[in-house]
Amino acid sequence: MSDPLELTRRRFLGQMTTGMTGLALSRLLMSDLGAAVPPGAHFAPKAKQVLQIFCPGAASHVDLWDYKPDLIKYDGTPLPGPAEVTFQGKNGNLMKSPWAFKPAGKSGKMITSNLPHMAKHVDDIAFIHSMTSRSNTHGPGCVAMNTCFTRDGFPSAGTWVSHALGSLNQNLPTYVSVQDVRGEPPNGKANWGNGFLPARHQGVSLAAQQPLRNLARPEGVSDEADRDTRAFLRTLNAEHAAERAGNDELRARIAAYELAAKMQLSAPEVSDLSREPEHVHALYGTADANPLKAAYAKNCLLSRRLLEQGVRYVSLYCASRASAVDGFLNWDAHKTLKSDYDRHCPIFDQPTAALLTDLKQRGMLDDVLIIWCTEFGRMPTHQVGTSGRDHNPDAYTTWMMGAGVKGGVSYGATDEMGRRSVTDVATCYDFYATVLHLLGLDHEKLTYYHNGANRRLTDVHGHVIKPILA
Amino acid sequence: MRSLAALLLSVVAATAADDPAGLAFFEQKIRPVLAENCYECHSAKAKKLKGGLYLDSKAGWEKGGDSGQAVIVPGKPDESLLLRTVLHTEPDMEMPPKKPKLADAILADLTAWIRMGAPDPRTQATGEAKRADKFWWSLQPLAKEFKHATVDGFVGEKLAANGLDFNPPAGPAALITRMTYDLTGLPPSPEAQDAFVAAHAKDPKAATEALVDRLLASPRYGEQWGRRWLDVVRFGESNGFERNFVIDDLWPFRDYVIRSLNEDKPFDQFIREHLAGDVLGKGRPEVEVGSAFLVAGPYDDVGNQDKVAQKNIRAATIDDMITAAGGAFLGLTINCARCHHHKFDPIPTEDYYRLRAAFEGTVHGRRTVVTPEEKRAYDTQMRPLAAARAKAQAEQDRLKKEVDAKALELSKNLRPKRPKVDIYGTEERFEAHPARFVRMTMTAQSTSPFSAVGAKLSEVEVWSAEPTPRNVALRSAGGRAEGVKNATARDFPEAYSAVLTIDGDTGAQWFIGSPSVLTLTFARTETIDRLVFRNAKGTVKDDPTRGATPCEYFIETSVDGVTWRRVADSDDRQPFTPAHASARFRREATTPETAKALAAVTKELARLDAAIAAVPPLRQMWVGTHVAKPEPTFVHKGGDPMKPAQPVTASSLGVLDQVTKPFALPADAPEGARRTALADWITRDNPLPPRVLANRVWQGHFGTGIVDTPSDFGFLGSQPTHPELLDFLANRLLAHGWKLKPLHREIMLSRAYLQSSAHRTDGAKADKDARLLWRFPPRRLQAEEIRDTLLTVAGKMRLEPAGGPGFRLYDYYVNNVSTYVPLAQHGPATYRRAVYHQNARASVVDILSDYDLPDIAFAAPKRANTTSPLQSLTLFNHSFTLDMAEALAARLTGKDPIADAYRLAFRRAPSAKERAAAEQLIAKHGKTALCRALLNANELIFLE
Repeated sequence: MSDPLELTRRRFLGQMTTGMTGLALSRLLMSDLGAAVPPGAHFAPKAKQVLQIFCPGAASHVDLWDYKPDLIKYDGTPLPGPAEVTFQGKNGNLMKSPWAFKPAGKSGKMITSNLPHMAKHVDDIAFIHSMTSRSNTHGPGCVAMNTCFTRDGFPSAGTWVSHALGSLNQNLPTYVSVQDVRGEPPNGKANWGNGFLPARHQGVSLAAQQPLRNLARPEGVSDEADRDTRAFLRTLNAEHAAERAGNDELRARIAAYELAAKMQLSAPEVSDLSREPEHVHALYGTADANPLKAAYAKNCLLSRRLLEQGVRYVSLYCASRASAVDGFLNWDAHKTLKSDYDRHCPIFDQPTAALLTDLKQRGMLDDVLIIWCTEFGRMPTHQVGTSGRDHNPDAYTTWMMGAGVKGGVSYGATDEMGRRSVTDVATCYDFYATVLHLLGLDHEKLTYYHNGANRRLTDVHGHVIKPILA
Repeated sequence: MRSLAALLLSVVAATAADDPAGLAFFEQKIRPVLAENCYECHSAKAKKLKGGLYLDSKAGWEKGGDSGQAVIVPGKPDESLLLRTVLHTEPDMEMPPKKPKLADAILADLTAWIRMGAPDPRTQATGEAKRADKFWWSLQPLAKEFKHATVDGFVGEKLAANGLDFNPPAGPAALITRMTYDLTGLPPSPEAQDAFVAAHAKDPKAATEALVDRLLASPRYGEQWGRRWLDVVRFGESNGFERNFVIDDLWPFRDYVIRSLNEDKPFDQFIREHLAGDVLGKGRPEVEVGSAFLVAGPYDDVGNQDKVAQKNIRAATIDDMITAAGGAFLGLTINCARCHHHKFDPIPTEDYYRLRAAFEGTVHGRRTVVTPEEKRAYDTQMRPLAAARAKAQAEQDRLKKEVDAKALELSKNLRPKRPKVDIYGTEERFEAHPARFVRMTMTAQSTSPFSAVGAKLSEVEVWSAEPTPRNVALRSAGGRAEGVKNATARDFPEAYSAVLTIDGDTGAQWFIGSPSVLTLTFARTETIDRLVFRNAKGTVKDDPTRGATPCEYFIETSVDGVTWRRVADSDDRQPFTPAHASARFRREATTPETAKALAAVTKELARLDAAIAAVPPLRQMWVGTHVAKPEPTFVHKGGDPMKPAQPVTASSLGVLDQVTKPFALPADAPEGARRTALADWITRDNPLPPRVLANRVWQGHFGTGIVDTPSDFGFLGSQPTHPELLDFLANRLLAHGWKLKPLHREIMLSRAYLQSSAHRTDGAKADKDARLLWRFPPRRLQAEEIRDTLLTVAGKMRLEPAGGPGFRLYDYYVNNVSTYVPLAQHGPATYRRAVYHQNARASVVDILSDYDLPDIAFAAPKRANTTSPLQSLTLFNHSFTLDMAEALAARLTGKDPIADAYRLAFRRAPSAKERAAAEQLIAKHGKTALCRALLNANELIFLE
């Protein structure tokens, strides 16, 4: 005679194909059976997983990815047109990037010499140079780059994907947010929150420096006591449920405790970077003398391990929220661009490039779509009285790479100075319409009713950016 | 739920028999004609629906179009508008338009069909409308005549129509548990349960009524139902957006809500106070606080300099008020009409901006809210103190000025040998000598001659005396730097610290604290001859410093860290400003008499300041402020504030003009009058608020409302399962003078409520979620109820203070913006009811967030109910559960701890099997292990 609870649970899982609680669990069991159109998808996907790399603080397009020779030519002269007042105030003359740009890869893509490791990947990357944002403020901007809405309370893309496609693994969260050692990005939790979608789809915080909350057995409770307590609880709940036919929620909660127990074992395993060989650590730079770089490198390595274990959506942050000193904790170089990015670029460059290399070498780019995000761009001018740049929501760069994406291409363009996106102007709506498309989802069909509207990730906008599709 | 509503409709319709011959006539002669000639403009498939009329369903022609009259009157062709239009006897409405008149044979068929009673089988929802018009069910006046006189009449009728019946009554134990949670959010005590079971055995009806009355009178009632209301009005105690600062004086609104519910304040008054409490109750803080509703939502305070962004932020801020008011009081998503006419409900975009005009003058913020007596008493105390202080201050100013003038005169004699400090780098040379320690003591900064606290340094270099000098201070060379900082970033300890002065990088700065001393230690003793310090970190020469630079200082060195030698100072440098110069000579310029007078006046000032500080300040609350003459309001084209179109003034929603008494104020209407007019319009003869409110009450009791979308009674919302019952309840509410307690009582004493929650196959098959109430729908407890239950069962709940400032289950800190970190340890200071938790936006709180406490970015009129492994991890592993388990274990002091544990947790005895298992668990791991399991049990958090 098998365990009565197991029987109940199996029957329960078998019977439930819809409904709040059954959905996630049945998907767990069905996880990735190799169907052409997996459950939840609208059509055959090109990508199964997403790695999002987010550089908060508005990483400057004209200093990293978007080469503007005219900015060098007209350095120190006024930007044509009336003087502008932007987020922090008045702007001075045009200011060239403090670093030279160099051609990279077979495509000859011009990128900053300040990212020598990333330069090696340009032939696999599709740059989108014509992004525009609806906000010029970090918090709303970051939230918009994750949820397509500038105000808090909307589900993030990872949440939508978890809701639509479910999990690919049996014992880890579906959506993990890996935050930087320097702290949360602007607006924190709203970037990976579930909004009005069910709470189980929220991004779960986990990083090399920060284990999953409440994962560990409480202090002072032995392993055996923990197990016996669980067993007692299981019996208690099973008897309670047996007397209450037809209450699926009771059974779902029993199953949730079983899953939690599994997670308690598997999550520390996936976070245990000591299982990686020395040369992998060296590739990422996890032992770098710069503690911030080493910490980020560990998170890059952790991200690969999470993806390998079937986490559907990983959001990896490089830098944190705004601090009392602009550009200190993140990419917000208002006053001193040179010294700020001389600090941030080396933290970002090698570990990120190593992660891309590692994923590629392992063949994981067949499944994993990589998207690089920041909330908006920076002005081509310097702020009056400083050597930094103010916020620029009218132009910025994002990029994609991996499953389903054409490499070595650049889509859209800004004007000669990088002040505004002018060619094939794109938005976060287009960006995520494309991400969903690659995952086999029609962004206009993925909807959820909330407070009077059938909400979409892409609001009422968005077009798939077809030229970057492989 | 739409499908369920459709199912119900079809069931009802199927009972109305139709004549088969008539139906055949319809199918052969009529349907093809309608499809060919009418559907193009009058069906769900129409590209653009004309005249609001559908002819692809029976309901369509019964309801009629914009005229509001049925276009076919069965049996009466002459009275049927449809026939008149196709016969071309209705002026200006010849149908089909711009086409020849239909053939005579067809017209004869139509006439015959109507005469035979217009049999029409198209009762399925296929021809359902694509949007609501002004005839939408929720916009109609409340029905006044009813088939039944009790709740059970309506519920029973619908059950019978579906071949179902009520469950038998619930047992007394289940009943007291259900009722106690329902009205108080807490479990009954075992003693209360015993007493009720005994009373129930004698006289179930009397015992139940007494129980409901007792619970309704409990102060816990307001806490439970107040929490539900706070969800509806998106009450959150931080401003959200980027900064998300916590708001420490919004809790009076939470207490106001709880108090109002406990007092059973008529809800129409409650709503009016939400919208205009400050006007209606001026000088009465207990009423004024109501209008904090307007500013209880998120708003962006980032201080954007961009003009367009500022306009957008203001538009979003007012939009939050419109959204909140529309949803909470009217059940309408008026906010969907911000950029265009509402896509689904009859709300033109102009109406959105008319509503905006009512809120145009409302601004987020705090202000003093006191009674006139409090203000008078305060003024009486303060006036003499303030006058005395002003006098003393003037005297001190005069004396100081006198001294300064003399000092400035004296300072003109100063002949500095060296230039003033250079913010880009100041060099101090001294004779070469060995040292391992360097100490720089700073006494003034560029903006103040009195202190260096708050000044900044980005780099300090100490150079070796050798042919190729080395910066021996560098951290990379093994150097250390120590000094107090005056700013912190708690999640990044190194930020702003002294070590940044030796990182070889002019980027990050040390924020100098008190004492303003920097101590550098080298890896070994070095021979040094030069120190350079700098603040400016830019590469462009016009780059100003970030903050002030230290400008007066002395430098000492030491080999052993014990004996120090002064090697350089700023005494012979040019003073940074004339103020710095005169400061140096101030002492010389002060005569003994002046010194004495200064000391006396300074003492007097200190005394007065202390006296002023001792006067309790007037109470401030986050209730918002109001601009007396708001800016004019315009329609924003496409919702873009940069595209103002026609001006509008505060007015009622046009769609309800025939149902309620409309209002339209002139453009210059005073600010307060706009909100009072709106409040009056909402609460007088408006059918929506009582309907919406009655539905919320029903939802509170049964878990799901009669309308399942409690703040959306529009087209995208769900249809009522029991429309007549909803109107009946709304009428009862009005009959009770908008008081909730009598309505609770009526509902809770109904058979529908008192029945058992037992599962029945026939019921589950027909109606899985028990929306028809063949059983009492069981539910999982909500987040706050779960936490409060653990505290109560463990005997740790502190019910007092019932109100006042909230407690926090997160660590809150600010570094330009806010960070909230959930507490790993909760502790006794937090053992209060969850409704008193300071409910910040975008914060995570263990247990509460896991169990679907909404992040209150939006109103949350309905809680989600999810199940996830993360919930299990939290409840099983969090120290709070273990603390509660230990507390519960400590209560098991009797002879039979297992029986005690089951009694306290579940208020029942353990079964023999449970007892055996529990004995085993206790024997191996102690009582706490058992309690931990019980606190995680389904039985604890599922209500039947």
